[in-house]
Amino acid sequence: MKLKSILSHHGTAGGWGPLPVVLCLGVVLAGAGVVAADEAAKPDDQLPTITLKGGRFDPSELVVPANTAFKLLVTNSDSDAIEFESFELHRERVVKPGETITVFMPSLSPGTYKFFDDFHNSTPNGVIVAK
Amino acid sequence: MHRLTKCLLPAAVAAVAMQVVRYPRTNPAVESDLVAPPEIKSALHRACYDCHSNETTWPWYSAVAPMSWVIHHDVAEGRSRLNFSSWGDYAEDPGTKSQKLEEISKSVARGDMAPWYYRMLHPDAALSDDQRAQVVRWVTRELDPKPASP
Repeated sequence: MKLKSILSHHGTAGGWGPLPVVLCLGVVLAGAGVVAADEAAKPDDQLPTITLKGGRFDPSELVVPANTAFKLLVTNSDSDAIEFESFELHRERVVKPGETITVFMPSLSPGTYKFFDDFHNSTPNGVIVAK
Repeated sequence: MHRLTKCLLPAAVAAVAMQVVRYPRTNPAVESDLVAPPEIKSALHRACYDCHSNETTWPWYSAVAPMSWVIHHDVAEGRSRLNFSSWGDYAEDPGTKSQKLEEISKSVARGDMAPWYYRMLHPDAALSDDQRAQVVRWVTRELDPKPASP
């Protein structure tokens, strides 16, 4: 009853209209935008990186923040070209020997996403864990 | 007669038993379809979309084992490798989009796609030489867009 009266006081009849709600939403969205922009604007040496070395992904399990798009560096330190691929993430990139590529990753729901080297079945799979 | 029965009966039992292993014939929602000129879209739709999209037309025999197993495998594998219904996801990463386009171009140019056994059952899925060339030219333009001349 009290809540109802407060709402009616700050409703359109009170002159505030939906302004407080819009302001609150704006603050929340702006905050989310800043976090996302921070992730995207990180210098390269701070970006999450996966390196293929000696026929293995390092790290084999990469933890990233959930619900935030990010850039991922993939380095191939081996002497053969590899194909970094993830069916779940809809990403597929050839990486030549000695090359580092940047993969634009989507905002991920919390969970585990498998990736693999499609050129070498013997390479153990890795996972990206969004938390 | 007796010998024929001895052969047919186990085969019939095996055929019935095979029907126990069933796979769902599903078409998930189309998230973001390929954007391409109508003639390219039409050609790819006829030749590729049954396995490489969420718009699979499931024929009646896709419910009958062992054909159902083969078709289910082909669709699952096809959607994993390239799904035109998730094209927007590929486009988020320009490198992935380029690679998918290159693979489409190579497969179509070589005549690998659609596979021969699929074309046998779907003669209208076969692309003409002209259609193949159109797809290859479209991919080339997509990979290296030139500004329109004034």
